[in-house]
Amino acid sequence: MSSRGPFQGIGKATGGKEKSSMNMKSGSGRFLAALAALVFVATACGSSSNGGTSSPASKGTLTVAGFNFPESSILAEIYGQSLAHDGYTINYKLLLGTREVVAPALESGQIDLYPGYAATDLEFYNKGAGEANGDPVATTAKLNSRLQPLGLTALTASGAVDQNAFAVTKATQTKYSLTSLSDLAAIGGQLTLGAGPECPTRPFCLPGLKKTYNITFKAFKPLDTDGPLTRAAFKNGSIDVGLVFSSDGDLNSLGLVVLKDDKQLENADNVVPILRQAAASAEVSRVLNAIDAKLTTADLVTMNSQVSILHQDADAVATAWLQQHNYYN
Amino acid sequence: MSVLIKVAQWFADPAHWSGPDGIPQRLFEHIQISAESVAIGALIALPIGIALGHYGRFGTLAINISNVGRALPSFGVLVIAFQVLGLGNLPILVALVALAIPPMVTNSYVGLREVDADVKEAARGMGYRELAQLVRVELPLAVPLLMAGIRTSAVQVVATATLAALIAGGGLGRYVIDGFAQQDYTKLFAGAVLVAVLATATELSLSGAERILIPRGIRLLKAPVARRATTFKTA
Amino acid sequence: MPSGAFLDYVDPWVNWTWLSTHIPLFVAALQQHLTLTAIAILGGLALSLPLGIAAHRWSALRNPVLAFFGVVYTIPSLALFALLVPYTGLGVLTAEIGLIGYTVQILVRNLLVGLESVSPEVLDAADGMGYRPLARLLRVELPLALPAMFAGIRIATVTTIGLVTITALIGLGGLGQLINRGLIENFHTPLVVATVLSIALALVADLTLVVVQRIAIPWSRGSAA
Repeated sequence: MSSRGPFQGIGKATGGKEKSSMNMKSGSGRFLAALAALVFVATACGSSSNGGTSSPASKGTLTVAGFNFPESSILAEIYGQSLAHDGYTINYKLLLGTREVVAPALESGQIDLYPGYAATDLEFYNKGAGEANGDPVATTAKLNSRLQPLGLTALTASGAVDQNAFAVTKATQTKYSLTSLSDLAAIGGQLTLGAGPECPTRPFCLPGLKKTYNITFKAFKPLDTDGPLTRAAFKNGSIDVGLVFSSDGDLNSLGLVVLKDDKQLENADNVVPILRQAAASAEVSRVLNAIDAKLTTADLVTMNSQVSILHQDADAVATAWLQQHNYYN
Repeated sequence: MSVLIKVAQWFADPAHWSGPDGIPQRLFEHIQISAESVAIGALIALPIGIALGHYGRFGTLAINISNVGRALPSFGVLVIAFQVLGLGNLPILVALVALAIPPMVTNSYVGLREVDADVKEAARGMGYRELAQLVRVELPLAVPLLMAGIRTSAVQVVATATLAALIAGGGLGRYVIDGFAQQDYTKLFAGAVLVAVLATATELSLSGAERILIPRGIRLLKAPVARRATTFKTA
Repeated sequence: MPSGAFLDYVDPWVNWTWLSTHIPLFVAALQQHLTLTAIAILGGLALSLPLGIAAHRWSALRNPVLAFFGVVYTIPSLALFALLVPYTGLGVLTAEIGLIGYTVQILVRNLLVGLESVSPEVLDAADGMGYRPLARLLRVELPLALPAMFAGIRIATVTTIGLVTITALIGLGGLGQLINRGLIENFHTPLVVATVLSIALALVADLTLVVVQRIAIPWSRGSAA
């Protein structure tokens, strides 16, 4: 009797008795093997053709990363495509993760550039010291003072802004007569907040709501960073207040209302490229600053709608924006 | 190493043992969803596998279904479940049940097939009717493989339930996902330790259950074999 | 503000138009997926062969080796990858350390089962014929352990293909990247197609290995699932 052995004996047991049923009918076995061969050949062909895309001497290779929400993919694509048009070879690492994941990757040189937001990035690199204010230029300058020692740099902030915003459903707004975040202070203990899992440690999220508005929620539900989980939670009533982004394109259609940030918790979260100093050549800076000068908040809202609602690709939307601004002439 | 010290301190901190994000709550959520998934999976899988094994039908399907089960990408299955069923415990349950079924079908099929034909013939000769033969002769003899299947499913479900946090689920996976998102590596490590311990405890306790259920005569016959139910890993 | 036309768009489970214009995306994802899997299996074999042979030869090693990799196996893969990130970064090395850790567990166990299942009579006969230990290992024991090894390679391959999708959360992922995109953008098509492709890839790989096994060791047709 063969010993059962540590792998449950399925193999040994079935081998002897189920020989006939284990054998594929030779025809289908050969077909599937041929299919497998086809997959491998196709893959090999694909990889060899990818390797040979060398064009006129590239100015260098840059890796552009984006956070785990669609707007970041769009911005990364706009930056990346404009640099590619200028002659750089670009690798993308989109939907890489939260800033807690992306920033270390930048510091260690695994990526070269990501589209940041001035105030939030400042409060990330200064560990919540509270230096950001409503002025993008001042905030970016302070951000740079924090980035320089790490070998990083921020370029010129854009006029396009995307801040954290807190929304409620129309029903909740009516029920508690809410217009601004201050209105939540009294009733926080009855409400559940939903946001990404990084919210409890972010100055412009839970800690900020407590400090600036004195809101203590009944519960916090970790969901995603302004994504489908948050929207689903609004829909099924498992959260009352949710973190969204001020440039989201679908809030109206979802029946969500943003509460006014009357005490200015959120600050100058202007879009700003954050790079490794080694990658921030004069040429790269010129290209990216030109882009940021043209970028507006309305652009962000439109592009976000196109990606989130119509499921257009971030790269297609980025290309369309660049073409619209005559970038390719 | 300082990492281990920090993790020990994390476990020693009483704040981590209370509240909605405390260890008891998360452990309870994790065990609850895992146990429910395995139980429902067993209710579906065992009758099918036992029936197929008893009558000796659809053998190829029964054996290869565990291969298909192993091929399911749990990340993909969970997200599809979310997009179909929305938020909450239901999509997680459905996804985990889908992952729990294959090993139990295959193992119960093989377990029933393995029963010595001579024994079945002897039972028939003694006057056992079909159902009695199944319940009083074949099933007890198939216990080792049946339990191996349940054990495999349970350990796999416990590990995969960690990913449920990706679709806003609770359980120990929250420590892993939240720790990663917050760059709180101590919490992440603690979560990993807790899941590993729970998976091992699940396997040991089900091995113990097997020892109780296995008919005494069979237990005495077989030499003790270290059988680890870990050939299934989907998360 | 966007017009109401946006509200009328319903996302089908598979948008074939989108799919037909995005084939390169899936091909690239498949390539990355296959590469990560291949490295994990080959690396796993490279590690598990010497480890398994050593654990077989010196029985004191057997339990520690099995126990160590057994513990690694119980760590959920996402946690293992995430814990390695501060040390080895968001790249292939991190993913492979984790994936190889898992494949070694499967392969070492199966190799040991295979080696241990060689019957004592065969070993006696080999000794009697004058084989020295190394030759006996290479020419008698290992070939007889091949069926169990192949079973292990098959299980490891299918398992790894599933686990690779999880590396999407540390910047890789192969087909997992598309699953991640489907989740974040609430977009059905890449999610569904990538999941189906991942399952198909695993099954095709498994069948390929069955064929390879039939060719390589035709005498094993009856053994090991």
